[in-house]
Amino acid sequence: MDYKNKINDNIISTDVLIIGGGPAGLSTAISLANKFKKKKLNKRIILLEKGVNIGSHILSGAVIRPNVFKELLNTSEYNDLPFDCKVTKDKILKLNEYSSMSLPFHPPYMSNDGNYIASLGEICKYLSTLAIKKGVEIYSSFAADSILYKDNKVIGVKTKDTGVNHNGEKQKNFQEGSSVIANITILAEGSRGSLTKELIKKLNLDSNKEAQIYSLGIKELWQMPKDSVDEGSVIHTFGYPLKDKEEFGGGFIYGLKNDKLAIGLAVGLDYADPSFDIHAAMQIWKTHPDIKKLLNGGKLLEFGAKTLPEGGYNSIPKYYDHNVLIVGDSAGFLSTARLKGIHLAVRSGICAADASIKALEKNDTSNDSLKYYEELINNSFIYKELYPTRNFRAVMKDGMIVGGFKTAIQLLTNGACMFIPNKKDDYKHTLKSKNFKNSNKKTFKERFINKLDFDKILTFDKVTSVYFSNTTHDEVQVPHLHIKDNNKFQDENIEQYNLSCESFCPAEVYELHTNMNGEKRLRLHFENCVHCKTCDIKEPNSAITWTTPYGGDGPDYNYM
Amino acid sequence: MPLTIISLLKQVPLPSEMRMGEDGLMDRTKAKSIINIDCSYALEAGLQIKKEHANAKLIVCSMGPPSFEESLKKAIAMGYDEAYLLSDRKLGGSDTYATGLALSTMLKHLGFAKGLNENFIIVAGRQTSDGDTAHVPSQVSENLDIAQATFVETAILKDNYIQAKRIIEGGYQLISLGLPCTLSFTPTGISPRRANLKGVIKAKNTNITIFSIDDINLSHKNVGLSGSPTIVSKVTSIKSQRAEIIMTNGHNQKDIISSFIQNIQKGKNILEEKQKKEPKIKKRPDDFEVIDFRKGAKGILTWAEVVNQQISRPSLEVLTPARYLANKLDKDTKVITLLIGEDIEHLATTLIEHGSDEVIVVDDKKLKEYQILPFASIFEKIIKERNPEIALFAATTAGRELAPRIGVKVKGGVTADCTELEIGEYINKKEKIIYSPILESKRPTYGESKLATILGFVCPQISTARAGTFKVPTQDKQRKGTIIIYKPRLSKEDFQSKIIQTVIGESGLQSLFEADIIVSGGRGTTKDNMELVKQLVDALQKQNINAQWASSRPIVDEGIAPYARQIGQTGKTVRPKIYIAIGISGAVQHIAGMKESETIIAINHNAKEAIFSNADFGIIGEYEDIIPELISQVNNGFTFGLENK
Repeated sequence: MDYKNKINDNIISTDVLIIGGGPAGLSTAISLANKFKKKKLNKRIILLEKGVNIGSHILSGAVIRPNVFKELLNTSEYNDLPFDCKVTKDKILKLNEYSSMSLPFHPPYMSNDGNYIASLGEICKYLSTLAIKKGVEIYSSFAADSILYKDNKVIGVKTKDTGVNHNGEKQKNFQEGSSVIANITILAEGSRGSLTKELIKKLNLDSNKEAQIYSLGIKELWQMPKDSVDEGSVIHTFGYPLKDKEEFGGGFIYGLKNDKLAIGLAVGLDYADPSFDIHAAMQIWKTHPDIKKLLNGGKLLEFGAKTLPEGGYNSIPKYYDHNVLIVGDSAGFLSTARLKGIHLAVRSGICAADASIKALEKNDTSNDSLKYYEELINNSFIYKELYPTRNFRAVMKDGMIVGGFKTAIQLLTNGACMFIPNKKDDYKHTLKSKNFKNSNKKTFKERFINKLDFDKILTFDKVTSVYFSNTTHDEVQVPHLHIKDNNKFQDENIEQYNLSCESFCPAEVYELHTNMNGEKRLRLHFENCVHCKTCDIKEPNSAITWTTPYGGDGPDYNYM
Repeated sequence: MPLTIISLLKQVPLPSEMRMGEDGLMDRTKAKSIINIDCSYALEAGLQIKKEHANAKLIVCSMGPPSFEESLKKAIAMGYDEAYLLSDRKLGGSDTYATGLALSTMLKHLGFAKGLNENFIIVAGRQTSDGDTAHVPSQVSENLDIAQATFVETAILKDNYIQAKRIIEGGYQLISLGLPCTLSFTPTGISPRRANLKGVIKAKNTNITIFSIDDINLSHKNVGLSGSPTIVSKVTSIKSQRAEIIMTNGHNQKDIISSFIQNIQKGKNILEEKQKKEPKIKKRPDDFEVIDFRKGAKGILTWAEVVNQQISRPSLEVLTPARYLANKLDKDTKVITLLIGEDIEHLATTLIEHGSDEVIVVDDKKLKEYQILPFASIFEKIIKERNPEIALFAATTAGRELAPRIGVKVKGGVTADCTELEIGEYINKKEKIIYSPILESKRPTYGESKLATILGFVCPQISTARAGTFKVPTQDKQRKGTIIIYKPRLSKEDFQSKIIQTVIGESGLQSLFEADIIVSGGRGTTKDNMELVKQLVDALQKQNINAQWASSRPIVDEGIAPYARQIGQTGKTVRPKIYIAIGISGAVQHIAGMKESETIIAINHNAKEAIFSNADFGIIGEYEDIIPELISQVNNGFTFGLENK
């Protein structure tokens, strides 16, 4: 580990380094480039993306509030944004097992008037072409492996070494990663960024903050028969197959142009059942008569999964330090009440750009200087949206009715409310198999006993799903999923939790194998990983650490 | 002058995205592209040589549309210094012969040739995934008149000599070559590196020099369709001919294997024979001129490759199509076989008994082992003297490099790896000409999904025949023929490369062809280095079953199995009574090598794998669970329905 965080001779220097080519990172880059140009400053901006291309690892619903892009882009750039279509209809369905009910009203924050449906991957590809034109250097297929520090201050990152075998031994084609040294490093890794996690821990950026909690969203893109899709139609569902008070979440069905449907199910990871399987839940959700009807005659095009940070305002860590800023999902800028984070990601990018420029101009990128970023955030709509709903997600632990009631109170009190349940890390909610059984609740398999055979037409097993994510990993590398303590993992995670990652991982990375002697063992198929990072979040004892594999590995989403 | 390492590179469509245009030529416009895998190994091989020779300059050359710049930039990012692209619309439609000529003309233009800068090494891929011919390295070498080693796995440069490890059937060979020389690499050596960030930034700021054919003084007559001695005349789809699979799955390995054994006993599904359609007889226009372009060329020349003082099996196989074609051609068309080696005269009779009419024997102690330069030069002399209309080679590692080198010498094209050979005619409607008779060489292409018919208009029409495709002709001890002793004059130049050592492992070529059961392991068997596969074979052998183990390409690429045991398009074609594919996904290239087996059994944990659509019996389960159970059943006497000998 030591040499990992050390600078080598293979040095690249830049003014600003951005880690991650999602909406936050790209907005930061564009905003910076625009302002450098305006001020006639000749500064270098490097953006690293671990996906094979920009967009390869991007997944979102996505319904986007477009206004923020007007702040980022000029009119003609804005007009060319490749949104898929405008939202024309917006409804919310409460699903029971065999029936449904349409909500006659919209909960606060949920209205989608004036919003657009889009493939966020497409938007990012477009933003990257703008950024490149403005002089930003974008390098995809490069994974930032570790943060470089000097006197506990961030000075850049090191990209991943390549050409090592399973055990980490150097092969003849070994290539040491490059050290990218930057005056300011901006972490825009998305949800549960691996470097961000390392930084927060090392510098204690989350002290006095609530735990960050997450949802896992599973998404599928479908091709439907000609003229069968209601373009611009937005449907959100709650209820079946999730159980109120046990699992927080819901489904979405968005009508895209060219008869495509984007569908998905997102479920909070603060559930207790160690055998709960969100991928399977999504498949079961599709068999609900209302959803099944919509998918009739269609064909699966793409599959993907990603986590969302849902903790809200109280879970946001300190998002700046000496020479470093955190933007977008990595910082937790996501509005659970609105189910949206893209506009916040873009806005945080603009704020980060402003703060960076000010710091670079006075040649002071210290913690105190970059505190200006926090000031900008607090004066932006990010604060205005997140602060009043800061307890939204926490009270939903009480279920839709009590939680909904408490949300209504918060509307009147600007977010204050009594009886707010405490938030704790998602993995701490998982019960041991025995304890869960003793709680007299049905396990996931018992709940859906007749629904777990997948027909590969409407419903799919995990391996088939992974195929539709275009995921590849070089098999000659150190598996990028690290088990912290093998013995403890065997004794607890396997023997007592019955390998709950086998259930929650949407990509069958983890397999519980019982050999001929009846011994249970973990089989790790890291090559299936779609980079959702649920294992890093949800595995009991926080026993799994997700790190970046070789750059370019992972899914290759096309229109997600 | 300091050493220059020249890498030849081709950009190819991702194999999964290959499409064909309506003209039968590759449509490269839509597919995502990559550096051809073999070429990327060549790039790495060049970089490895540079590691030990810091002063060496690395350049990379390619020929193709401007989009190839992407791959050239990747080569720069990996560590190459300069990149050159020959790009010209007029190059479209070039066959391998024209490509070899164009690339070597570019290299001469850059100053690399005999008499100019001679301090260079060319590193190239063995073959490309969209062509699969393995011709171009040979053709470039012949055009530049330099030594070559193909199918090379690793190479080191020491004291101005290259020492190359070359993969041959059943083992490997160490060859020493002086400079300049060409090396073509298999994708089994050192895996291509991933460029680091610094490299990518350098590539971004490096310009690629683009030449047109005028820039390198290459005449437009010598490129494209007009410069190509061969054409693709027809492309048809290949359809699978196997009945529906019988699958076995279950809860535990014991249940699975016992119901599998029952299924085997019940027998496989049989495809209902469809009535074969009468082939349409092509109308032959009366008013067209019929041209016999052979201009007196006559006879079919074949090569009898000698390995370990024996005629190799594929060389005997070639006599089947040779005989067939000779019988279809003019009366007295002879099959002439060239036999080169030391103390091999007695083998001539064997060749006659298998169908040769005439055997030309070259017996020389310097020619005991096959070497490309003297052998190519003997062929050149024989072809000039005898003027055969067709020359056939087995598509062995030797045949595949020898044929294209000879092709350049006689200014003719070569069709690689044919599975069907026929005499036909070519009707050129535009020019109202019928070329007749003509050799129709048919070869699978586009990942075995299509069968392309290739025609050549220069004699001899040269083709190589895929090993294992044709049957060895029945031996007729009464058959008579002539044996001629030939003593060619060979120059010192012909012996500039030296074989240092030839290592043939226990894994003989023969045993695989003769086995009744072949147990073949794929990626799913790497966990224990195929140990269970070998144990299953041992168990079968103990039951007196002629069983052998083999593997798919990834296993060979990982170095777990020798190349000699590789089944598939780039390995061997086998047809045992029973073929057991374990942990093999069933890439088309692999299917090509085993689809003629009588019964195919597939074992894989993933029910979705393509192997199951090409098998008679399927078992879904984990390698480490299923195989031990199967072994214990074999130990109890289960032999897949075969009789113990």
